[in-house]
Amino acid sequence: MNAINLKINKEHYDVLVKPHWSLAYVIREKVGLTGTKTGCEMGTCGSCTLLLDGKPVFSCLRMAIDAQGCDIRTIEGVEEENNGELHPLQEAFVQDHGMQCGFCTPGMIIAAKHLLEHNPDPTEQEVREAIGGHLCRCGTYIRIVRSILNAAAVMRAGS
Amino acid sequence: MEYYSPTDLNEAYALLDKYGEDAIPIAGSTFYMGHREELFDEVEAVINIKQLGLSYIRQDGDGLHIGATTTLNEIFAHGLTRKGPFGILATTVQELNINEVRNMATIGGEVCIAGEVDMPTTLLAYDADIVIGGSKGVRRMSMADFHIGYLNNALEPGEMVLEVQLPQPPANTGGGFAKFERTAADLPIVNVATRISLDDAGVCTDARVVAGAATLSGIPERSGAAEAALLNQVIDAALIEAAAAASADVACINDFRVSAEIRSLWVKCGIEDALKRAFAAARQGEQS
Amino acid sequence: MTTETSVIGKSLPMLDAYEKVTGKLKYAGDMPAHHRMHYAKVLRSPYAHARVVSIDTSAAEALPGVSAVITHQDDITGKQKTCGTPWVDPSFNFRGPMISEEVCFVGDEVAAVSAVDEDVAREALKLIEVEYEELPAVFDLEEAMRADAPQVRPWGPNTLPPSLFEWGDIEQGFAEADMILENRVTMGNQQHAPLDRNACIASWEGDRLSVWTSTQALFWMRDALTDFFDLSPSKVRVYSTPTGGSFGLWWGNNFMFLAAALARKSKRPVRLVLTRDEVQTTVKRRERPLIDVKIGLTKDGRMTAQSFRHILDNGAYGNKFDPYQSVADIYTTEHGRVEFIGVATNLVTAGCMRGVGDLTLAYAIEQTVDMAAEKLDMDPVEFHLMNHWKTGDICHTSQEVVFAKLLFNKNPQVELTSSGLAECITRGADAIDWSNKWKGWGKPSSVEGHKVRGIGMGISTHISGLAFFGFNGITVKVNPDGTMALTTGIGRMGQAGDTTQAMVCAEVMGVELEDINVIDGDSEVCGHTMVTFGSNGMHMVARATKAAAEHAREQLLEYAAKHLEANAADLDIKDRRVFVKGSEERGVTLKELMSTPIYEYLAPPEVIGSASKGVEFEKAGKMMMADFAEVEIDTRTAQMKLLKFVAVHDSGTIVNPAVCENQVAGGYYQSMGFSTTEHLVFDDETGAILNPNFMDYKLMGPLDMPDPEIMFEEVYDEHGPFGAKGIGEGVTCAVPIAISNAVYNAIGARIDPPITPDKILQALKPKT
Ligand SMILES: Cc1cc2nc3c(=O)[nH]c(=O)nc-3n(C[C@H](O)[C@H](O)[C@H](O)COP(=O)(O)OP(=O)(O)OC[C@H]3O[C@@H](n4cnc5c(N)ncnc54)[C@H](O)[C@@H]3O)c2cc1C
Ligand code: FES
Ligand code: FES
Repeated sequence: MNAINLKINKEHYDVLVKPHWSLAYVIREKVGLTGTKTGCEMGTCGSCTLLLDGKPVFSCLRMAIDAQGCDIRTIEGVEEENNGELHPLQEAFVQDHGMQCGFCTPGMIIAAKHLLEHNPDPTEQEVREAIGGHLCRCGTYIRIVRSILNAAAVMRAGS
Repeated sequence: MEYYSPTDLNEAYALLDKYGEDAIPIAGSTFYMGHREELFDEVEAVINIKQLGLSYIRQDGDGLHIGATTTLNEIFAHGLTRKGPFGILATTVQELNINEVRNMATIGGEVCIAGEVDMPTTLLAYDADIVIGGSKGVRRMSMADFHIGYLNNALEPGEMVLEVQLPQPPANTGGGFAKFERTAADLPIVNVATRISLDDAGVCTDARVVAGAATLSGIPERSGAAEAALLNQVIDAALIEAAAAASADVACINDFRVSAEIRSLWVKCGIEDALKRAFAAARQGEQS
Repeated sequence: MTTETSVIGKSLPMLDAYEKVTGKLKYAGDMPAHHRMHYAKVLRSPYAHARVVSIDTSAAEALPGVSAVITHQDDITGKQKTCGTPWVDPSFNFRGPMISEEVCFVGDEVAAVSAVDEDVAREALKLIEVEYEELPAVFDLEEAMRADAPQVRPWGPNTLPPSLFEWGDIEQGFAEADMILENRVTMGNQQHAPLDRNACIASWEGDRLSVWTSTQALFWMRDALTDFFDLSPSKVRVYSTPTGGSFGLWWGNNFMFLAAALARKSKRPVRLVLTRDEVQTTVKRRERPLIDVKIGLTKDGRMTAQSFRHILDNGAYGNKFDPYQSVADIYTTEHGRVEFIGVATNLVTAGCMRGVGDLTLAYAIEQTVDMAAEKLDMDPVEFHLMNHWKTGDICHTSQEVVFAKLLFNKNPQVELTSSGLAECITRGADAIDWSNKWKGWGKPSSVEGHKVRGIGMGISTHISGLAFFGFNGITVKVNPDGTMALTTGIGRMGQAGDTTQAMVCAEVMGVELEDINVIDGDSEVCGHTMVTFGSNGMHMVARATKAAAEHAREQLLEYAAKHLEANAADLDIKDRRVFVKGSEERGVTLKELMSTPIYEYLAPPEVIGSASKGVEFEKAGKMMMADFAEVEIDTRTAQMKLLKFVAVHDSGTIVNPAVCENQVAGGYYQSMGFSTTEHLVFDDETGAILNPNFMDYKLMGPLDMPDPEIMFEEVYDEHGPFGAKGIGEGVTCAVPIAISNAVYNAIGARIDPPITPDKILQALKPKT
C-alpha cells in the first residue's frame, strides 16, 4: 500500500492505495465520492470523467497514485464552485430533461463544463464532439445536447 | 507491485534494468489501465515516465521531434503538427473521437502498441524513426522495423521510447489519412495513411501507402504494389483508383468484428480516399 | 372524453433530477459500505456445458482475508421454480440450485468468494481448483430442438411446451387468399447493456435478510430470496435503488442471491459488484428468434390469414414459452395461428428486453407484409392503412389469454381499447415526405454515384402492462403542510416512473408536482407492486395511484366540508386550496386544513388514501407506433448510414412530453444498435462471447445518428388514467422494421438485423 494525498474539489484526502487502483475506484470506494460513475472501467463509456488539472480525463484509466498533486474536480464540486447553486449546466439538464436514468449525467456535465469554459458558443457538432466518447444507453443525446447548448446561452447572457 | 515516478532518465533506466521484463513503463496509462486485469500478474513494477521531461514538440534541421509523453491532444493543438508539412498528425488524432483519451494517451504509448491504433500507420507513411533509450545508450530504429508482430515491438528489456522523429518531407508533399470504424468512438478497423511527393511537372517522386489495424501481420504495412503504381507517374483520379486496386497485396485478418473481405475492401477504399487527400494537399504544397 | 388537467401534460422536471445532476443519486454501486462488510467475486465456468467433478477450495479458504467460499456443495436450492408466485414464472431465470454441479453456459457460476477486499477475493478465485468433465453442448436453436440433441441443463427437456393461439379457421383463411407469402427471419443477439454495472449488498441479522440492489422487480426479488433461503416474506427486506438503466436486465439475478448466500456463510454484510464483462455475458440477453411467417392476401390487398411460428432461444436458464405480449396483433384477420416455442441452448440465459416479442415478431411480419405489398404493387403506406389493427379488435395472442386458459380453463375475448395507428401512419408519411420519396417498388428514392438512398416504414404495437401484473398497492398520505407522500413499489429505471405517478397524484389532489414526495424501493414499506415492466407504469400502476389519491381526496374533502361548513360534493381542489365550486372565495388551503385542529380529535386531521387495484383484463390498452426511415447505402464501402427518422407514437395521453420524447429517442438509439452494431458474437466452438465489453459491443454514441423527429398521436384511452397508455418498451419495436425496409428500397435486398457491412457487401454482389 502506498500512502498518497489527493486534492479533490479543493479538499485534501489521505488515502492508502495500490498502484493498479484507478483514480475512479479510489475516489468512489476510498474517498466516498460516488458521483463519479464507473460503467466500464476501460475507457469506453465516459461515466467516470472528471477534470484533472483542468482537463477532462477518464478516471478509470488513470492510476490513483499518479494523480497526486493534481487538481481533481468531480461532479460533487460543481455546485460548490458555483457558490452553492446549481451550475447553469446542471440547471439546464434538470429543466430540459438532459437525462433519463442519470447514470451518464455526471460525466456528461463534466465534459460539457470543460467545453463551455473554453468555447462559450459551441456549435451543435462541437458539443457532440466534446461528448463523443460518452455513451448514454438511455439514448438521451438529443436533450443532452440541447441542455448543453441552452446552458451555453444562459452563461453567455450572464457574463 | 511497486510504483515509481522517476524524475530523470538515469533513474528510469536503473529501474528498467532492475526489473527487466517485469517492469512496465506507463505514460498515458489508457492502454495499461484498460488491460490491468490481464497484465496484473505479469507486472512487478510500474514506472511512470511522465516526469522525465519527454513532453515536447519541436522542429530542427532533422525534422520534427515529438517527445514520447506528448499527448495526442497536445499534438492536435500544436502549431507544428496541426497544419503544414506535419498536419497529418493532427488529422490522425482528429479521427479518435474521444476527447478524454486524447487528453491522456501519448504518442509513445501509441507507437508501442502494434495493433488497433492509428499513429503508427501515419508514422510509417512519414518514414518516422523511433528513438529508444536505455542504460546502454540511445538507439534509433525506423518505424518500419519497430513493430514486429501483433502487440509486439522491438524494445528490449530495459529500454523505452524517448522520442518520435519525422524527417522533413520535400516540398510539394501531401499526406492523407482515412479510417474505417463501426461507430464514431471506435478503435480503427482499418486505417490508411498515404504520402505523395510531386515534382514541378506533377510527377510522383515518392509515395507511401500504408494500411494498419487490419493486417494479417498485425502491424502497419506498406502496399508495395500501390506505391509502385504511383511512382514516376502523373497522378490523376484514374491512377489513384488503379493504385488502390493494387492494394490486394495487403493481407487482412478475418475476425468477429468484420471479415477479411470487408477489411480488404476498406483498405482499398481507404487508400483511394487517403490518396485523393494526399494528392490534393501535395498540389497545394500543403498537408491535409 | 378528455378532462382538463393542470399537471398532466406538462414537461415537468423529473423528481430526482437534482440528485442526478449533482451526482447525489445513489445507484446500487454507490451504497455506502456497511460495518465489517466484505467484498465478493465469482468464479465462472470456462465451458459451455460441463460437470464439476471436483472442486478444492481449501487454499482459497486459507488465504488471509477470505471470509467465505461457496460452491455447489453448499446446496442452496430454490424450493419452487415459481418463487412463490404460482401464476407466473418470474424469469429470474430459474436455475434450481443457486450454484449447480452442472454448469450450462460459459460464465455460469462455479463458486463465489467473499473477502476483506476485492483484490483478495480475486486472488482467492485463482486458488480454487476445479476439475471439469466437459459435456456435449448445443448452441443452435434448431439443433437444440432435435430429439438427439444434448440436454442443455440437468432438468427438463430443451424444448419448453409451446403455446398455441388459434382463431377462425386457418385453412379456410389461406383458401380464401389469392396469394400466400412465406418468410423466415432470424435476428441478432442484443444485450441490454445498461451503463451501470449493478451491485448487491446483502446483510443478515439472525434470520432476517436485508438486500440493497438495483431492480425493477422489488417484490419478485423479495419472493425469490424468500424461496432460496426458505424464509417467510416478512423476514426479507429488499431495498431497490434506482437502476442506471435496466431495459429488462435487472429483475433479480443470481449474483444478488450469491451475495446473500455469502453474507449468511461469512456472517457479515457482503457486497458483490459486477464487472462490465459480467454484465454483458452472464446475466441475460434478448431472446434470439427464429420466425416462420405465412400470410394470405386477396388480390386487392386484404389480409385473410396469418400464421407464425416463433421459436425463442432461451439460452441456459431462460424459461419463456409464450409471447409475453400481443405480438401478432398488428393486423386484423379473421383466421390466424400463432405458435411460440421456447428452446434452451448452452448460451448465456436469454430473457425479456425492452420490446420483447413485438420487436422480433413485428419485424418478421412486417418484412413479409413489405414483400406482399411489392407483389401487389401497392404502396406500403396504403397497405398499412388498409389492414392495420383498430379499436375494438380482438387481441388474439395476449398473454392474459394464456394464463386464463392455464389457470381457469377459460377462453376470454380481450378487446383493444384504442388505436391511433391510422393517424400515426399518415402523419409519419407526411413528415418523411413519403409521397415524394417513395418512387415505387424496385426504385430507390435517389441514386447519386455510389450513394443509394431508400425509405421504409414499419408499424408495431406493444402492451401497456398485463392484467396479471396490474395489481398494485399504493398509499397517499397528506402531510400537515399540505404536501403528500406517495408510497409506491414502482421501479425507477430512468423512465421517470416516480415522477409520472406523482403527476397523477398531484393532478387528482389539485397540488403541484413538487408537493409530492415519492417513497419507493422498500419491500417492507411499499404496497405490493409486482414488478415494473411491460410498460405497465402509466396504464396500470397509475390506476391504483389515481385511486389512492382519490381516496385521500375524498377524506380531505370531508374534512374541508366541515371546515367550510359546506357539502363535500360541492368542493373542489385547485392550486393547493379547497374551495366551494361557484364561490371560490370560500376556501381553505391544504396547509391550513391539515394543520388546524378539528373539534372531534382536538388535533389536525390525518389523511391516508390507499388503493389496491387490479385492472380488468378483457380490455387491453396497447400503444401503437409507425416509424419511418431514410437510409443511404454506400455501394463502394458497403456501409449504411441513417439519414432521417420519424417516429409517431400513440401512447394515449402524454403525461409528461419530455419524458416520453426521451423514451422514444432511447428506443430509437437502442434499436438502431440492434439493427447494426449491437450483436453479441458467440464463438462457434466454445459458446463464449467474443465481444464482452463496449470496446466491441458497440452502442450508438452522440456522433452516430441523426436526431429523430418524434410525434405523439394523443388518442384518449378511456381505460387508462387520464387517457394514458404505456410507452417504455414499444419505442424499440418498429425501428428495425423501418430500417430494413428502407435498405430493401435502396438496394433490393432484405437484410435482417444486424445489418453489417459484411451482409451489405454480400447483398450487393451480383447474383450468379
Ligand atoms: C476507448 C478507447 C478508444 C481508443 N481509440 C483509439 C483510436 O481510434 N485510435 C488510436 O490511435 N488510439 C485509440 N486509443 C488509444 C490507444 O488504444 C491506446 O490506449 C493509447 O495509444 C495508449 O497510449 P498511452 O500513452 O495511454 O499508453 P500506456 O497505456 O501508458 O502504455 C501503453 C503500452 O505502451 C508502453 N509504453 C508507453 N509509453 C512507452 C514508452 N515511452 N516507452 C516504452 N513503452 C511505452 C506501456 O508499457 C504499455 O505497454 C483508444 C483508447 C481507448 C481507451
Ligand atoms: S468507466 Fe471510465 S470510461 Fe467507462
Ligand atoms: S441517462 Fe441513462 S445512460 Fe444516460
